[in-house]
Amino acid sequence: MIRLDNASYSYTNGSGISNINLTIGDDEFAFIIGPTGSGKTTLLRMVYMDLLPQVGKVVVDEFDSKIIKSRKIPFLRRKIGMVFQDYHLLDDRNLFDNIALSLHVLGWAKDEIVDRVTESLEEVGLDGKDDRYPEELSGGEQQRACIARALVKDPDIILADEPTGNLDPVTSFELIKLLEEVNREGTTIIMASHDYNLIKGRGHRIIEIQDGSVRQS
Amino acid sequence: MDKMMFLLSEGVKNLWRHKLTAFTAIFSIFLTLSVAGSLMIVGQNTNKIIEYLRGKYKIEVFFNENVSDKQIASVVEEFNKINGVRSTTLISKTDAGKIFKSQFGENILDIVGYNPLPASCVVNVVQYQIEKMNIMPIVERIKSYPEVDEVQYQGRLIYRIETYYQKFVKIMTVLLILILIISVFIISNTVRLTIIAKKELIQALQLIGATRSFVKAPFVIEGVFHGLIGAILASALLIVGLEIGSGITDSVIKLKIQYSPFILVGILSSLSVVISFLGSSRAISKFLK
Repeated sequence: MIRLDNASYSYTNGSGISNINLTIGDDEFAFIIGPTGSGKTTLLRMVYMDLLPQVGKVVVDEFDSKIIKSRKIPFLRRKIGMVFQDYHLLDDRNLFDNIALSLHVLGWAKDEIVDRVTESLEEVGLDGKDDRYPEELSGGEQQRACIARALVKDPDIILADEPTGNLDPVTSFELIKLLEEVNREGTTIIMASHDYNLIKGRGHRIIEIQDGSVRQS
Repeated sequence: MDKMMFLLSEGVKNLWRHKLTAFTAIFSIFLTLSVAGSLMIVGQNTNKIIEYLRGKYKIEVFFNENVSDKQIASVVEEFNKINGVRSTTLISKTDAGKIFKSQFGENILDIVGYNPLPASCVVNVVQYQIEKMNIMPIVERIKSYPEVDEVQYQGRLIYRIETYYQKFVKIMTVLLILILIISVFIISNTVRLTIIAKKELIQALQLIGATRSFVKAPFVIEGVFHGLIGAILASALLIVGLEIGSGITDSVIKLKIQYSPFILVGILSSLSVVISFLGSSRAISKFLK
């Protein structure tokens, strides 16, 4: 479960989020919608504790931002898979190595890593492309690779920050469908987007964020 | 175990991935260690020279005429117990006469009718001592015995040799420390370039839940490899240089440069591992702050 209690964070330029109270339950699929600069990314960064609230707190399962020690934050992030608009794939290694990195961090054995990465690539429809480098993949494939990287460690939560930002409408819909499949298997999904047309009518919770404050619908 | 292997292989792969920074780091370490190694060899050989000179330091003690041989032998025994005394050589009146005959070819008894040469003792001081050798306390102690008539020693010369040697040791130590500190900074800055180039990897690792030590390890391992390669190259250069130099000094002044290749490689490798470990740890820790 993810809970934000009166959480506020303000950047030096005055932007940020203020007094956010929000609970996202296990297995939930929630969209965070709002214009660019409204505070969506700040909210997500608080969930994976890249930013700690200056006021209030964020609680993700047993991790409480008020009391968490910085050396414990990696253990929170191991429960979270992250997908970004600009992919964040490493150019100097192929798809397999990009995805396997998460499992190396968790200390998996080599043969287990091979099986699990292959399985993840199949899940996102990238089987057989494990030796390709990011630059050899299309935008949609790179984003699916990001989802595979997020999925490979079987996370409790997936945070997707504008994952369709660089994709065409068809690929964007396919990506959302893929995330919905993942959600059906029990993973909490929080996806930030500024494109209302993309998310409307899908039957998921929509959290609207405007000027750093939340309006739920 | 798999995690360790992964970190190790990442460290090795990084050498190839960051060719330019690897070259810069290895070259800096190579230069630093070549200078540091040369200083060590100079220091070691200067030590040998000072030990040789100290071996030549002599305190000559002349005994009073009325002191018996037995008393002299017992006083000389006492000299051996003085701190800083390596050995003593007793020269009895008879021995002194023999020395006179060997040096001048005539018997002293034939010249003056009796043996006027006093019994004496040569006191040799210790050779191995890092700090400045001061023979004055030994001289004062010897002079305090009533049996002793006169003490002769090369006080001024010894003082000057020891003073210069101490200055030399201090300068060498400061220089060496300075070079090592500078090299830590050079390595640290070189690794920072690698880190800036690998910012994305570090961020990706942090996002997927890598601990600080997991993020740091490949960079530190890479740094240690730079150090080892730099040390091997510097050792090779020094050994070749020393072999050529030793051949020249041997043929010109019959003096071989003293050094042990194994110790040299050992010291330079350990030194480089330590400085490259410190340098790379410092750089990555500063980045992760």
